[in-house]
Amino acid sequence: MTEAGIPNPRTDPVFIGIDVGSTTVKAVVVDPVTHQILWSDYQRHQTKQAEKVMELLVAIGNAFPNLPPGSIRSFITGSGASPLVAPIGAKFVQEVNAVTLAVERLHPDVGSVVELGGQDAKIIIFKEAKNDKGESTGKTAIASMNDKCASGTGATIDKCFLKVGMPSEDAMKLHFDDSKLHHVAAKCGVFAETDIVNLVKGGIPKDEVLNSLADAIVLQNLSVLTRGNTLKPRVLLLGGPNTYLPFLRECWQQRIPETWRDRGYDYPKDVPVEELIFVPPNADLYAAFGAAVYGIADGGDAGRFNGIESLKDFITNGRRARLGEQAGPPLSANEGETKTFVDMYRIPKFVAPALAAGTTVRGVIGLDGGSTSSKAVVIGEDGEILAKAYQLSKGNPLQDTKELVRKLVDHFEAQGTTLEVLGFGATGYAADVLDETVLADVNIVETVAHMMSAVHFFGDIDVVCDIGGQDIKVLFMKNGDIQNFKLSNSCSAGNGMLLQAMADQFGIPVTEYADTAFQAQLAPKFSYGCAVFLDSDRVNFQKEGYQKEELLAGLAQVLPKNVWQYVVQIPRLASLGRKFVLQGGTQYNLAAVKAQVDYIKQRVPDAEVFVHPHTGEAGAIGAAIETLRRYKRTGKSRFIGLKGVLDLEYTATTNDSTTCHFCPNECKRTFIDAKRPDGTSSRYISGFSCEKGTVESKDAMLALMAERKKTAAAFPNLVDYEANRAFVHLYDAAPLPPAGTPVEDVKVVKSLFRVKHEKVTRGFRRSSAEAAQRRKSLRVGIPRVLNVYSTAPFFRAYFETLGLGRSNIVFSDQTSEEMWVEGGKYGSIDPCFPSKVAQAHVHNLLFHHHEPERKRQLNYIFFPILTHVNNFVKDTQDNASCPIVAGTPDVMKAAFTKEVDFFAQRGIEYLAPALSFQEPILLAKRMFETFGARLDITEDENDHACREAWHAFDAFDKDLQEKGRAILETVEAEDRIAILVLNRPYHSDPGLNHGIPEEFQVLGYPILSIRSIPKDREYLDRYYKDELERGVIKTPLELNHVWPENYSVNSAQKVWGAAFAAHHPNVAVLDLSSFKCGHDAPTYGLIADILQTAKTPSAALHDLDANKPGGSIKIRVKTYAHSLRLQQERLEDLTGKKRELARRIDEKRLELLRLRQAQLESVKQKDAALEQSIAELAEKVRAYSAPPPAAEPAMGIMKLGKKMPDGSIQRIGAVADGAAPNTQKPTTEVAASAAE
Amino acid sequence: MTQSMMSDGSSTKRSLPIAGRKNETLDVDAELARFEAEERARLGLAQEEQWVEKMANLMFTKKEKGKITLLIGGLTMAHDYLISGAFRSLGYNVVPLDAPDYEALRAGKEFGNRGQCNPTYFTVGNLIKFLIHVRDKGGLTSQEVVENFVFLTAGACGPCRFGMYVTEYRKALRDAGFDGFRVMLFQQQGGLSQATGEESGLELNPPFFIGLLKGLLAGDVINGIAYRLRPYEVVPGSTDAAVAEAKKICYDALYEKRSILRALHQSRKIFEKVEVDRTIPKPKVAIIGEFWAMTTEGDGNYQLQRFLEAEGAECDIQFVTAWLLYNVWEVRFDTKNRTLLRGKDHGKLGLAGTSDFHAFKMKASLWAADKAIRVAFQTFANVGGFYDYHLPDMDEVADVAAPFYNNDLRGGEGHMEVGKLILNVVKSKATMTLSVKPFGCMPSSSVSDGVQSLITERYPGTIYCAVETSGDGAVNFQSRVQMYLFKARQAAVEDFERALEKTGLTLEKLRAFLKANPKYAAGLHKSPHYAGSTPADLVHEVAEVVDLTPAKRTLFLAQKKAKGVLDALTNAAKDAPANTRSAAVLFAQAAAELAEIAKEKAPGMAESAVNAARDRLAKVLPFTAQRPVHEPVVAAAE
Repeated sequence: MTEAGIPNPRTDPVFIGIDVGSTTVKAVVVDPVTHQILWSDYQRHQTKQAEKVMELLVAIGNAFPNLPPGSIRSFITGSGASPLVAPIGAKFVQEVNAVTLAVERLHPDVGSVVELGGQDAKIIIFKEAKNDKGESTGKTAIASMNDKCASGTGATIDKCFLKVGMPSEDAMKLHFDDSKLHHVAAKCGVFAETDIVNLVKGGIPKDEVLNSLADAIVLQNLSVLTRGNTLKPRVLLLGGPNTYLPFLRECWQQRIPETWRDRGYDYPKDVPVEELIFVPPNADLYAAFGAAVYGIADGGDAGRFNGIESLKDFITNGRRARLGEQAGPPLSANEGETKTFVDMYRIPKFVAPALAAGTTVRGVIGLDGGSTSSKAVVIGEDGEILAKAYQLSKGNPLQDTKELVRKLVDHFEAQGTTLEVLGFGATGYAADVLDETVLADVNIVETVAHMMSAVHFFGDIDVVCDIGGQDIKVLFMKNGDIQNFKLSNSCSAGNGMLLQAMADQFGIPVTEYADTAFQAQLAPKFSYGCAVFLDSDRVNFQKEGYQKEELLAGLAQVLPKNVWQYVVQIPRLASLGRKFVLQGGTQYNLAAVKAQVDYIKQRVPDAEVFVHPHTGEAGAIGAAIETLRRYKRTGKSRFIGLKGVLDLEYTATTNDSTTCHFCPNECKRTFIDAKRPDGTSSRYISGFSCEKGTVESKDAMLALMAERKKTAAAFPNLVDYEANRAFVHLYDAAPLPPAGTPVEDVKVVKSLFRVKHEKVTRGFRRSSAEAAQRRKSLRVGIPRVLNVYSTAPFFRAYFETLGLGRSNIVFSDQTSEEMWVEGGKYGSIDPCFPSKVAQAHVHNLLFHHHEPERKRQLNYIFFPILTHVNNFVKDTQDNASCPIVAGTPDVMKAAFTKEVDFFAQRGIEYLAPALSFQEPILLAKRMFETFGARLDITEDENDHACREAWHAFDAFDKDLQEKGRAILETVEAEDRIAILVLNRPYHSDPGLNHGIPEEFQVLGYPILSIRSIPKDREYLDRYYKDELERGVIKTPLELNHVWPENYSVNSAQKVWGAAFAAHHPNVAVLDLSSFKCGHDAPTYGLIADILQTAKTPSAALHDLDANKPGGSIKIRVKTYAHSLRLQQERLEDLTGKKRELARRIDEKRLELLRLRQAQLESVKQKDAALEQSIAELAEKVRAYSAPPPAAEPAMGIMKLGKKMPDGSIQRIGAVADGAAPNTQKPTTEVAASAAE
Repeated sequence: MTQSMMSDGSSTKRSLPIAGRKNETLDVDAELARFEAEERARLGLAQEEQWVEKMANLMFTKKEKGKITLLIGGLTMAHDYLISGAFRSLGYNVVPLDAPDYEALRAGKEFGNRGQCNPTYFTVGNLIKFLIHVRDKGGLTSQEVVENFVFLTAGACGPCRFGMYVTEYRKALRDAGFDGFRVMLFQQQGGLSQATGEESGLELNPPFFIGLLKGLLAGDVINGIAYRLRPYEVVPGSTDAAVAEAKKICYDALYEKRSILRALHQSRKIFEKVEVDRTIPKPKVAIIGEFWAMTTEGDGNYQLQRFLEAEGAECDIQFVTAWLLYNVWEVRFDTKNRTLLRGKDHGKLGLAGTSDFHAFKMKASLWAADKAIRVAFQTFANVGGFYDYHLPDMDEVADVAAPFYNNDLRGGEGHMEVGKLILNVVKSKATMTLSVKPFGCMPSSSVSDGVQSLITERYPGTIYCAVETSGDGAVNFQSRVQMYLFKARQAAVEDFERALEKTGLTLEKLRAFLKANPKYAAGLHKSPHYAGSTPADLVHEVAEVVDLTPAKRTLFLAQKKAKGVLDALTNAAKDAPANTRSAAVLFAQAAAELAEIAKEKAPGMAESAVNAARDRLAKVLPFTAQRPVHEPVVAAAE
């Protein structure tokens, strides 16, 4: 490189390469003859790409003062390059091509390249192309870039660094250490950030957090970006993060060789890893250099440098000229409008009421431990807000709480008053730990806290929209309580962070956001959605020449779209009501408020939109109000007191001793041990992903498990039961008939025009005894995925009937995170998780269930292409599987035979025939084509096995439906609620549903699966009486009147399930669906319509993915539990009303009969029967006044019963422990959950 | 209790005056029922309502036809425009919607379900956008919009989301305030006449489908020519001008019910005037992928075709005709697989309920359909000047794909993406294959692409780019395409230079020849296939004749043609005995079978039935009538 300031006297032509990236601009000056870099520079552009490029060009001019005009050629690359092409006169070079050229020139021996840029990540793998004779015909570069997702890019790292708060000079000294890694979801930059925040809050040391982040990013890139290819050595690491962060580099150096070993790739083991995987000098400049190399290679005359005048002109005039037509209107038409709005909506500054010195103030504290900040309020006995405190989170909830309380105490002390605390309530992330340590009186979920606060200030409202830093909560109210809600926990679209981050990008304090945005005269139209997508829009718009105030205005305008269209998804806002309350910290930003108000008013012209007067503290206020209410009712508090909090001592420990060993997850937990001043102590455990993590010792663990088992047993979970039951032996097949047993067969006679079927009777054909013997030891592996979940009993019974050993029919394990981490790197595509995870299952079979050394080798892996499966819905157009679900077996075949044939390597044959459960005859034929020769069976044996397999299928159904019926009849008799999980069969996999049904089971709700709903008309008809009578349907198993496009079998079943729930008063719905599920998406609105019309309570989680969204699940479960409790009350009311109706009718009847008696008497007649009836009825009516028998506690142990013909419920047997009974003798007990 | 009153026969029969109301009967049950209803209402015990889809299968009547405007859209602009002409000629008011743009996408996202694939958002949004525009700018009420417009679109029955579009249309329409708006479907595989009811104002009858087919074929031909001309046009914009003119001519012909072939012939004259220069090497990019994404010309694929052309490529597009052939193939394949089963399954594809002759009838009619489509296409193409284009052989595509992508898997393009890529590579049909798919496309992004990674591994050196259109920012999309296009351009240059080197031709000589022989330089001229790109094909073609005198050249070409004919004849002669034999066998078999069938069906009338059948058969197989019926069945030659 040239030293700055010393001009180069060169006069020979030079080539300039410029790389305009998302955050930086790089430029090199290259000698076209020697390819030597003569000059280079690297600058952050702070979104002023054009200006920065000009600055660099000027610098080049100064560095080479003697270059004659016309001897400079310029080539430009990078995501921000294209608008600058014309002004500079440069030629555009696509980035990956530029990097490829640079690498080919500088490192001909490199096999692959990993470049992490600001907004993109690229992987280039050089493959040797060979001709027919196997001779090399040169290298081809296979490149992949992240398409539209920020996962695994520099942007993710940048964002997370801010959260961790480690100074960059320290980060540059950090080394990779994989001994203490924590879970970080690198799937999405936003998820990663959430995890990082939680880790920091959990007191995990910064270096561990950053190492975990590096590991997650590396694994994400290895599993997704390589598209299933193996990175070939030597591996070149490029881009800013790889250059500046040694721990990231070291992480690559550790993880890449692991993939080589896993895949049996032969890499040079004698070369030190630092040479195999390395960062070259000037790693930042490769793209810029490559652009110049392209120009040199291109020959021609392209890229003749224009000089900087036209660039200057572009910066001042050209850029903005074409914006007008594409842009949308600004936030305000004029200053007047802005002023009126601001005057109306500016939140008055809170002034704490003055208190007389020397007094003692009585009040309660409400504390909201939020994700980015914590707030506390003191509310007096009369409900007045006496003080507020705010604290940016420092990562430890106890520390935050102590500091907040300190601030409150100081506030009162400063006025010479004393605060007497009557109670303490908590909400938010910190609520649980405060419950435990400071003995909070109230621990409520945020949604409920927000609702209470809004109702406190505005009374009868319809919608509460809370936009916080990390999430959006929209609550729909009815009669002063939450009727429904929508949350956006797993996605940052439209939350406060987004605005904050954007303001940061422009170096504007968020407090000045609104003032800046109101200045805009126009605003770019962002498309709403993922925060990361918005950011790439932002880059585009900036490139087009929009200024910061316009971008900020545009972004404020996209916020309501994200809230109402992306999160809430109810386009007809008017259907929600007309009184809206906006709250949450984001409402301080009046640009956002204006956009919201305009959006709402446009759609609901008579809407009243309020902004909460204490918008940031709504949660804390809600907690305080509930605390006050409780205090007033009980007069008690268990709170340890202000001094107790201030003197609270705690230690946070995260090390080997706190790791949870109760399952292979090995969660790294943090123990927060708090010692209260009175000497008592408590331990709060954070960082676990399941309840097992809440205990410290093995004994406690066993106690907890026993407790859970008891609860689970009491509240059966048929989703879980179905998921286990489908794969175990459940049917004793009829043995193969002896040879010669007469069988009916059909002979097919084909002639030119027709095909005739002739019935014949002949003897059953058997295969040899040797063949049967051989079959006993054959082992077949089947991935436990997708529609195998609904068809496994068929396949197991088929193989069992043919004499394969029961333990030789091997299903892969249930999905788990380790399994995914281990086996999830083979796919080249990124579909929904359920189909993506199939690779981990095939891997699991190949690497764990194929054990030739123990003589337990797999002979076949059978992964059928299930084009059609069975359906109980009667009038569907077709019963097709989703095309991805059906096609995945072929995708797996490609993935595992692409570079290495993993099947052939192990002597396993991979079988993926296309099967349709709609066509039993074709199915039998295909099974025979697949297994006839391989299992050495006759077609008769095949057909017999298929028949038995169908019986097993039916037995499975029957068993489930019996259990479902028991649950339904019990809840109905006891006014309780059962939760029907609407899902595709494979969501029964606990690794896919992330144990969400279990969360409800533990709360005391029995769980039903769609398959377990009784399908016999004797049961169903009464719920559909009205429609049957009106002739809308012929049988309850119809769907066309609800949804005609019902060809997707699993979607049709989900919709039918929703309709069933809508007909059954005691069934609530939990709707689970995977991110990217193409067959579920069109039914979202439909299912919501069905359930809303019938007012059936429901909760939906539509974006399930590989990562367990722990926080998101928790808040949903808690809030939904609140709704379910209300529903339970409604059911009880309903029973009361029904009783009242019966009583009123009897009374009326008595009245009428007496009237008739009077009439008879008036004509001097008597009717003995009538008098008898009157006497009986009078007795019955008298009985109504007697006190009703004490009701069983609603949340007690659920005892399953069967409804008897007389309407009574007969209790049935105890609950079995896990072991699945054999259905040959149908039993009615419900097996407890999982643990096999 | 009712029991006790019924038992008292005498008292119930008598009219009893109610106190205060004379001469009225006290009907206890009626009185109670009324009371119960009141009480239920008071207590809020009314039956919960249930959701019923009221917008499904709506139609309009013949009476309404005059005031209804049919909205159509979804194919290329040429297609939509021409089809609108054909439908107008049948008396419908038709408006083709514009190609969906970002505004449509935004409307689709606002009113559609979350998590849809892009074509859904774009097409659903496009309709909503149009209706909102008509309402707000046209001054109609929502109700008037609902009453006066009907959207007509192709339907399908899965297995990908395409079949659920109608669900989306209904949801979006309802949420946008157009409750009750009619979306009408015709099924892609429904054949030439579909039941629409006697009263239906929309008659899905042969004239409807023939008009549709004419529009489709003419649209294909015009598009095909345009993509051949535009990359090489000498005067920028001349192709587009010609296309506009040709489209108008064809539209008028369809609308005025004149000959479409004549219109295409006139169009050819216009296209012939477009000047081209095919001596600049350009890569040929075969666009495959999801049907809508590769067909649309708007923001739905960031105007991919235009982008490629601007980047210096020639586009090789897929035709709607090929899609029809795929539909025919599907039915043929499915029937074939089930014909010889030992029974007839139910289910959508099962043969339950079909006669013993079903398989034959299907085979014959599908064979005829396939041939009819091909013949029609070639006729349209030759008349229009779209020379020497080969529609894909669907069996070949299926066969090469089958080892990697099961032919039973459906949805989207099914196995075709994989099959086409393999054929492109093996037969060097294109320099680069670009598979474009909309974000969230199930069969393409999540199955085909997974399999294609194996194909590119098996065929190293393949320039294959799979790319998704997300609808957000074109930058990433185009950058990705450019990445591969860079290699393709290099390959095209190499291809061209290799051709020159191999043939010993120089660029100057080539240009001089073209100047001297304008026939070879004509826009509609199509060089025979030698390499992956058009300019290289031209080099090969010219090299063969460049050094010949005009007379010798004529001789050479004549000889070449003759050789072609000769080869065909030789093959025919070679195969003749076998053909003759199998024809005889075929005939004999047919005859014997007919006799048998006839006897079975009507034993007494066997003879006359056989004759009648023979007459009928004679029309299909001309040689039947010449042979006696009673000849014994010759054993099959195989």
